[in-house]
Amino acid sequence: MIAYLVKRLGLAALVVVAVLLALFSLLHMIPGNPAILALGTRASPEAIAEYSARMRLDEPVWVQFAYFIGNALQGDLGADVFSNRPVTAVIAERIGFSLALICAGMGWAVLLGIPLGCLAAVRPGSWLDRVTGILSVGTIAVPSFLVSIWALLLFSIQLRWLPAIGAGEPGDLPDQLSHLVLPAFAIGLGWVGYLARMVRASMLEVLGEPYIRSARAFGLTPRRVVLGYALRVAILPTITLIGMGFGGLISSAVFAEIIFARPGVGKLIFDAVSDRNFPLVQGGVLVATGFYILVVLLSDLVIAWLDPRVRSSL
Amino acid sequence: MAENLLTVDGLSLDFRTGRGRVRALRDVSFPVRRGRILGIVGESGSGKSTVLWSILGLLARNAEVTAGRIDFEGRDLLTLGGADLRAVRGEKISVVFQDPMTSQIPVLPYARQMEDILYRRPLSRAAKRDAAVDLLRRVGIPDPDSRIDAYPHQFSGGMRQRAAIAMSMLTGPNLLLADEPTTALDVTTEAQIVALMRDLQTEFETTIVVVSHDLGLIAELCDDVVVMYAGEVVETGEVRDIFHHARHPYTRALLECDPARIAEVSRRLPVIRGDLPDLTRPLQGCIFAPRCQRAMPGCATIPPPVVPRGTGAAKCHLLDGPLADPDWPPPAGTATVPRQEAAAPPARPDGGTLLELRDVNVRFRTMGPIRARLRGVADPHVDAVLDAGLTIRAGETLALVGESGSGKTTLGRAILNLQPVDGGSVRFDGAEIANAPERRFKPLRRDMAMMFQDPVGSLSPRKSVRALITEPLLIHGVAGRDLDAEAERLADMVRLPRGFLSRYPHELSGGQARRVGVARALALNPRLIVADEPTAGLDVSVQGEILNLMSDLQAEHGLSYLFITHNLPVVRHVADRIAIMYLGRIVEAGPAAEIFAAPAHPYTAALVGGVPHPDPDRRRPPGSAIGGEVPSLLRRPRGCDFAARCPHAREACREAKPPHARIAPGHTHACLFPLRGANDTTRIR
Repeated sequence: MIAYLVKRLGLAALVVVAVLLALFSLLHMIPGNPAILALGTRASPEAIAEYSARMRLDEPVWVQFAYFIGNALQGDLGADVFSNRPVTAVIAERIGFSLALICAGMGWAVLLGIPLGCLAAVRPGSWLDRVTGILSVGTIAVPSFLVSIWALLLFSIQLRWLPAIGAGEPGDLPDQLSHLVLPAFAIGLGWVGYLARMVRASMLEVLGEPYIRSARAFGLTPRRVVLGYALRVAILPTITLIGMGFGGLISSAVFAEIIFARPGVGKLIFDAVSDRNFPLVQGGVLVATGFYILVVLLSDLVIAWLDPRVRSSL
Repeated sequence: MAENLLTVDGLSLDFRTGRGRVRALRDVSFPVRRGRILGIVGESGSGKSTVLWSILGLLARNAEVTAGRIDFEGRDLLTLGGADLRAVRGEKISVVFQDPMTSQIPVLPYARQMEDILYRRPLSRAAKRDAAVDLLRRVGIPDPDSRIDAYPHQFSGGMRQRAAIAMSMLTGPNLLLADEPTTALDVTTEAQIVALMRDLQTEFETTIVVVSHDLGLIAELCDDVVVMYAGEVVETGEVRDIFHHARHPYTRALLECDPARIAEVSRRLPVIRGDLPDLTRPLQGCIFAPRCQRAMPGCATIPPPVVPRGTGAAKCHLLDGPLADPDWPPPAGTATVPRQEAAAPPARPDGGTLLELRDVNVRFRTMGPIRARLRGVADPHVDAVLDAGLTIRAGETLALVGESGSGKTTLGRAILNLQPVDGGSVRFDGAEIANAPERRFKPLRRDMAMMFQDPVGSLSPRKSVRALITEPLLIHGVAGRDLDAEAERLADMVRLPRGFLSRYPHELSGGQARRVGVARALALNPRLIVADEPTAGLDVSVQGEILNLMSDLQAEHGLSYLFITHNLPVVRHVADRIAIMYLGRIVEAGPAAEIFAAPAHPYTAALVGGVPHPDPDRRRPPGSAIGGEVPSLLRRPRGCDFAARCPHAREACREAKPPHARIAPGHTHACLFPLRGANDTTRIR
């Protein structure tokens, strides 16, 4: 178990370094002087010189990279080009909005999708199964940014039920929650269908397994057979899918945050790209990558906790 | 109290399929007598398992009962539903399944699974756990107090089946159903499970219904027998009546086809010709008539009479009515199924050595180097094959016999260079071929072919039979041949009708898929065929066809076979010599007749004695089953691998591995205290 964790964390570190390398070379592969790119063509020579010195742009590339990695490992992701505040501080004040959005989006998808998939699998061919099958294809097919725009138009502008932009007043929880509803609905909708389909397929397979027949032969109640036995096994591949799904939600969240003007990391990265605020882009992408790696590791640990066969092979 | 605990009465059942209604059961009737063990015997497609599922109400969704009832304690089980049915399942009627690997949920520990079975009882969790521990102890699980918290994958196959029996006995059911309870187990484990079921039956006075295709198991365990064929009961009776005085031609034929019941060694095994009838078509007359040796014109059209005898009955025109034959049934021992004559006289091995293995080792890595360092494991390997040596002469059949995990398949793969060897020599036709690079080995692949264990799984589902059997020719670029003509030649050789060439694997029966496997192996005119369990999963009446085919091909082409199997009754008929493997070592090798008549190694003796005889008068006495289990390769003993289970083991056995020793010409063993002397001919007749 310890060896497994060490191995997984080591691999995670390697991925982070690879991402840093990719980000770093991205910056250096853009033709032209990075300082001019960052500050714009009308920047004064003094400003460019000051920026080049601050960013160590005069040093050889590998030295720059070494500094970059070294600083990153110490938690220093550089400074915002414009405000000169540490990138970590800027991200820290925005990350909560993104985490809340992603978790709420996946959360409602899980709470609705998994029971739907279960019910559909228990009664294949029933009207619930058919409706779920059709709706899930529909929700998967529609991109989340379209859902965002439609939801915004319908619920905020036409019906005026929910607020359209922002994340709500700081400290006012109901207000913040009401601002969360629409974007979370938008990014989670596709996952409801996805999870329902996945759970249904996996559940149908498990319900045909001999050990489910054993449980029935021992007279266990249908409820116990489905929830206590079949779902316990059928949920395992879904957990992996949910873990990886967080990666997809990070990019969905970018769109949702732009459309709903929600001040999360996605919006931050988007703005930083438009402003050529490269330290902020690097920091934002790094945090997103780290979050994704962490979630995938967590999902694997949850599977190990639920499945003794996996646990004993660790 | 009624004599019959359960009565199946006129049960008819259809499956709705894409091909139409399959009339899977037709008018099935038999009683289950209280306190006895009833065996339902039949081949695949006989409907024996469907009967079992009907009793439990666990039929597939597309099943439809069209007539009949199943009486149990004054109620018709077929009409019960919901809570009434659940009050019977697991509580009054319980079940042991075929494969303990797949029939126990992998993610819950035994404690939880067994507590769940007792959910109807008003007991505390601790009381339920105690009851479960008691029963685990009773079925022979060592250290049940802690092992009850184990998960199924942490148990060996035999232990899992013991746990399955404990689970089924937990509620003290009146009726225990067992679906092929030993089919997934090894010979020595099977004997232990049979003994356990007999003990429990006596102790708890449970009535047991065993469903099996294995005549040996039925003879060993059962008091009453129901013989089924193609969805009908053809004969019922007490076990001695069925095995010694069978009256239905199918029962007679089935018994005659069992290699274990053929006393004299014979390369030609009897078979029941033809195939199962298509149950989607309208059926009339006797269901067995198309395959019956004694079929008369009326058999195909007039329904046969049910002729009672004692507590049983048989359904055949020969016994009663206008078509009755006073000379039927012929006395026991008279053959009713003709043996096919050999196509050519059996070739005698010409003595030239074709394949020779010396001191072959195959090692598997158990963990990566980093993990081994972390755990302080000096040598993270296991020896899957250890100092194996054997020779195969041209034209002979060598059987490599062992239980699961003995390394027999690994050794077969090593011979074919599908598995690297770690030391030792493999010589084919005089040339060293161990670990030869594939480029150098490829020409040799034309001389050595493999028949894979899973007949359908080893064939690509998207290729036609024609493409499959000519594939080896294409791989080896045998140019200038007419592939269609080759496909027809090969199909003729394996007696596969040419029309089958355009079929796909899923359209083949088990026996037909085997024939395709044989044809693929033969395509390049090999000299050696490694056949991995060539008859596993085949019905007794069909396996003879494959074995006869293999023996004919051997006679015609001088082939050599390495026959990898666990099936000793078959080996006795087909093998010239036998090598017995245990935990990766060859513990005994010698001429087949000698191995059976006078084994030197106690493990060989246990294997030979471990197969239940399909004869109720030759039941083994209680306590004769060899105890223990095959140890894990990870914990290979320092001394003799078999010492812990050996009834003759002494201190010296646990000190060091016994060397391979010669006891008679061509007969070696690895035992310090062999069961027979060097020139002890008293035990060799």
